[in-house]
Amino acid sequence: MRAYIIRRLWQMIPTMLGVILLVFILFNWIGGDPAYVLAGKISNQEQIDNIRRQLGVDQPAWVQLWIFIKQVLTGDFGASWSTNEKVGQILATRLGPSLTVLVPLLVIETLTAIGLALAVAYVRGALTDRAVMILCTVGLSISILVYIIVFQYFFAYKLGWFPVQGWGNGFLENLFVYASLPILIGLVVSIAPNLRLYRTFFLDEINQDYVRTARAKGLSENRIMWIHVLRNASIPIITHLMAGLPALLLGQFLIERFFSIPGIGREVILAVERSDFPVIKAITVYVAFATIATNLLADLMYKAVDPRVQLK
Amino acid sequence: MKPNNETNPLVRVRNLEVAFRIDRSVVFEAVKRVSFDIPQDTTVALVGESGSGKSVTALALLGLLPPENSIIGAASEVLFGGGNVLRRSAPELRAMRGADISMIFQEPMTSLNPVFTVGFQLIEVLRLHMGMTPGEARKRAIELLDEVGIPDPGYKIDAYPSQMSGGQQQRVMIAMAIACEPKLLIADEPTTALDVTIQKQILDLIAALQKKRRMSVLFITHDLAVVGEIADYVVVMRNGEIREQGPAQQVFENPQDAYTQALLKCRPQLDRRPMRLPVIDDYMDGRTLGSRDMSERTRGVDPGDAIVLEVNGLGKDFYSREGLFGKRKFEAVKNVSFKLPKGKTLGLVGESGSGKTTVGLTLMRLHEASSGEAIFEGRDLLAMSPKEFMAYKRRIQIIFQNPYASLNPRFIVGEILTEPMQLHGIGAGGQERTELAFELLQKVGLPEASFYKYPHEFSGGQRQRIAIARCLTMKPDILICDESVSALDVSVQAQVLNLLQDLQDEYQLSYIFISHDLAVVKYIADEIMVMSEGRIVEIANSDEIYRNPREPYTQRLLASIPKGWHGGRGDAAPT
Amino acid sequence: MIAATKVIAVAHTVSPGLWALAWTRLKSDHVGMVSLAIVAAFIVMMVLSALGLIAGDWAKETGINYAPPSFLGDDIEAGARTGAVTSPAGTPGEPGSETRPGGVDPLADAPAEPKEGAKPAEAPATETNGDGGKSVDPLADVMADIKAGAAREAAKGGAVPAEVRAATLPFGGDKWGRDVLKKTIKGSQTSIFVGLAAAAVAVFLGTVFGALAGYYGRWVDDFFNWFYSVFNSIPYLLLILAVAAVLQQKGVLTIILILGLTGWTGTFRLIRGEYLKHKAREYVQAADAIGASHLRRMFVHIFPNVSHVVLVQLSIYAVGFIKAEVILSFLGFGVPVDVVSWGSMLNEAQNELILGKWWQLAAATTAMALLVTAFSLFTDALRDALDPKLKGRSGA
Repeated sequence: MRAYIIRRLWQMIPTMLGVILLVFILFNWIGGDPAYVLAGKISNQEQIDNIRRQLGVDQPAWVQLWIFIKQVLTGDFGASWSTNEKVGQILATRLGPSLTVLVPLLVIETLTAIGLALAVAYVRGALTDRAVMILCTVGLSISILVYIIVFQYFFAYKLGWFPVQGWGNGFLENLFVYASLPILIGLVVSIAPNLRLYRTFFLDEINQDYVRTARAKGLSENRIMWIHVLRNASIPIITHLMAGLPALLLGQFLIERFFSIPGIGREVILAVERSDFPVIKAITVYVAFATIATNLLADLMYKAVDPRVQLK
Repeated sequence: MKPNNETNPLVRVRNLEVAFRIDRSVVFEAVKRVSFDIPQDTTVALVGESGSGKSVTALALLGLLPPENSIIGAASEVLFGGGNVLRRSAPELRAMRGADISMIFQEPMTSLNPVFTVGFQLIEVLRLHMGMTPGEARKRAIELLDEVGIPDPGYKIDAYPSQMSGGQQQRVMIAMAIACEPKLLIADEPTTALDVTIQKQILDLIAALQKKRRMSVLFITHDLAVVGEIADYVVVMRNGEIREQGPAQQVFENPQDAYTQALLKCRPQLDRRPMRLPVIDDYMDGRTLGSRDMSERTRGVDPGDAIVLEVNGLGKDFYSREGLFGKRKFEAVKNVSFKLPKGKTLGLVGESGSGKTTVGLTLMRLHEASSGEAIFEGRDLLAMSPKEFMAYKRRIQIIFQNPYASLNPRFIVGEILTEPMQLHGIGAGGQERTELAFELLQKVGLPEASFYKYPHEFSGGQRQRIAIARCLTMKPDILICDESVSALDVSVQAQVLNLLQDLQDEYQLSYIFISHDLAVVKYIADEIMVMSEGRIVEIANSDEIYRNPREPYTQRLLASIPKGWHGGRGDAAPT
Repeated sequence: MIAATKVIAVAHTVSPGLWALAWTRLKSDHVGMVSLAIVAAFIVMMVLSALGLIAGDWAKETGINYAPPSFLGDDIEAGARTGAVTSPAGTPGEPGSETRPGGVDPLADAPAEPKEGAKPAEAPATETNGDGGKSVDPLADVMADIKAGAAREAAKGGAVPAEVRAATLPFGGDKWGRDVLKKTIKGSQTSIFVGLAAAAVAVFLGTVFGALAGYYGRWVDDFFNWFYSVFNSIPYLLLILAVAAVLQQKGVLTIILILGLTGWTGTFRLIRGEYLKHKAREYVQAADAIGASHLRRMFVHIFPNVSHVVLVQLSIYAVGFIKAEVILSFLGFGVPVDVVSWGSMLNEAQNELILGKWWQLAAATTAMALLVTAFSLFTDALRDALDPKLKGRSGA
């Protein structure tokens, strides 16, 4: 087991280097000279010169790369090009609000999707199944933008049940007052894709031989679904969840933007609008590392949960 | 066709009709008005080839047919325990399954839930039907594991199915099935996926349990030899209908139905070797067999035979990751040497994992050999560069086991046959190649119009013929048959074996015939090489090996072959 | 030519191959056929629109501002009479507001409409976000130029004179009185074209990479896997945004490249798995045995067995990219301002909703929902029709 973990960690390094390289090529090379990028956005020439010096723009490529690697290793990406806030500071403060929305959402949406998917898989083949699937498809075809716009309009603006946007100061206040509508929207938007996916997982399991054996033993359909099938299906569900975690963090960006929630996702959009490269680079690199790490965790969990798999 | 009229049988099946709805307009009749009895305390064998409907019948007995697309005839009856099973409610069925009637299946690995321990699955059924407490159930589970022959049951009870071998998994399935003292055990091809030595153990186990508990067993299989060993009563099915049924002695010694007779005869016997194997059609047409050549074919390798291929010290290792940076070596083939005489067949026999298939693939250079040489026409095939080998590629060809996977599903037969000709420059142009393809199709017994069809339009046996034809396009000297008839029904097997023999007679082809089926190998091979764990255990002429096996492994192997009715007397029917 | 005659003389029925069988099966799937028809209709619409045959004049301000849909009748509140820019000062949550439940009436501070001709320099207030800082709207300058150009046009008399503006339009008008129906049609052109083209790029890359990796294995596979995991560890949306941030110029081609060059990972994984699976199958080994080269095995033997997967992938990705383009355009990272897309329509719609003008939102949403639903259902039907298990049915 330990050998496996060490070997995986060792294998992670080329990938991380690759990410650094990719980000570097993207931002330092293709992105080009900050002077050009920021032209028209920042009028302060001295500021621009500062930035150029920091990046080592006039130096050969490998020096610039080395500067970047140092930044990654020390965690110090300098300051934002537009607000001059330290990038590290920015990220630290934005993480909280994102998680306040993300974590409850994740829990609720997973449980809901599992429950619904089990129910649907139970009545497979019947008309309800087909109808539900078509409903899901329709639901998926409406852009998330529309959900947000409409929900925000009705529930916040028209009916006044929730604040239209904003963020407060206390954790509980944030959780229950400001995060509620975003979580609700996130839930509604996530049902269709998750339901489809989990339903596939369940159906795959239902068609397996061991279900036939279980029936031949006289077990009730309930027991078969809730204990036998669910236990097997939990494997792909867990792996799917874990693998998608960091992406979810960012996927909230639209919601954060609409509701003015000061989270990581919204920060990314702002940074892109302002061509604030340090922020984007930092977020990209860190999220990528987080993804790699959660992938490793997912693999480990997978092997812990599935007795068929052997660690090597 | 007449059910046995024993009084008070355990199960009475009457007029069972099952059809499946394929789509809106197509309905497939799987079982057509089948009637038979399962007496108390008896082993009934339900025999048939693929598509006979035997498995469907078994599932119907338990009410396990998928409700969404199966249609059961209104007059169908399965009388058990004082009522019609087909009319029982779901709770009644659930109470019956596992407790009164239980079933074991063909693939034990997938039939057990992989994420729960063996003990969990055993205890589950004990608690459900017998109402035991967890402690009682666990104790009983250990006893059951012991009864079915699992070593160290107190420890193994917490093992996962993936940690056990195929044979042990099947024993666990059996334990689960007998746990609640059922009156009837249905076994659907339980040993088909197992090695022959393990098969014998499982068959013995089932027989012992049957006797001890006085339960009835419905044993479903396609293997008549197995039936001969274990059955008291035999029901023969074909295409959804019963062709014949009766006590085993009657069916084996005095079969009334043409199909039954054919089945009994088509299978290679251990004690005789006709020039050609009879095929189903010979019987179904009602032809008398007096016209056919029943003389025996002699086989054997003489010291004076010309050698076409000489293999020395062949070895093949596979590597897998181990530990932090290490590699583990698995020696699949170790130091294999043999000589293949021209125009003769060398049989290569072994159980799974013996390395026999690897030998074949390595000789073809589909795997890279780790050591050794293969001398052909004075040159070492294994040492040549890939370019040099191209010229020799066509001289040694292979027919794979799985007829459903060895032909490209997207090519028409014509393309499959002309491609090798194109690659090796045989035939002057498209016209000529097509001509040659037609000839070959005829030679393997297929109509010329097959040229334009896709593989999926053919049966397994026909596809093997196409594969044979493909090899013949290149006029090879050596043909490797890698379990080439193992996936075929008995009747089809006979046809393909006959074809192979005809081709050998005509073209003086040399065969390396790889198989786990000892009866088939004895029929077709001149010399037999027995392998185990990558090594050659014994080589001798085929008659000699069967008469006088020297090595203990060979002896054990031969002893495990199901002898059929009355231990090797084969069928006594004079034709 | 005896050989020739013989060949012709062998009577045979043409056997249906995979595609013919799939088509037969698809034809009997009613939902699938209806979906196919709808998708085809949209594509026809796209082509016509691209050729300029319909909706070519979507930018003309033919109706009064916020003209209501014809089926609703005349607007009760008469909109502004000219093509003036109404600055929607009130996006919910203007700078710095702590909103109380119940919200703020965004129109409370609506400035009086500026007179015709006086527009250019006042860039509209940022439509894009309402955060604390005064962020600079990157589109401000471009918008100003366009408005200036429109004003010049109007001054020259090229614009539709005020009196001739229609009171209602078939599906209403937007803020500037442009026909929503035409915008929707034109927008579909953008979205569909981007979706299909980007899907083609992404699936092509994924297929080639996957084939190479799955077939050759070993270090080729290792390389591609490394490449894949690098791309895969950056969440897709982030990658798109990052690339969008870096590529300063906008344009349809840019979006297609962005989406295509970042979206190949899913297809790669799938096709690599397929190639790994097929490579181990006996028919490929048989091809090796008869002497087929690597390239031949990869493309002549294996690829036809995998092509149906590729087709379904194309379909899935087209749907996904249509949705992605809408979001990108909404955020302003997609199409340039003078090209209409459903995303840009939704962007405008957000503000219009406050004023009670819902038709642009409805039009864009409905069109998009219709297309994406139909396309998704068609993808499902296609997948079912191409299911290889179908093949064993006849004869065997």
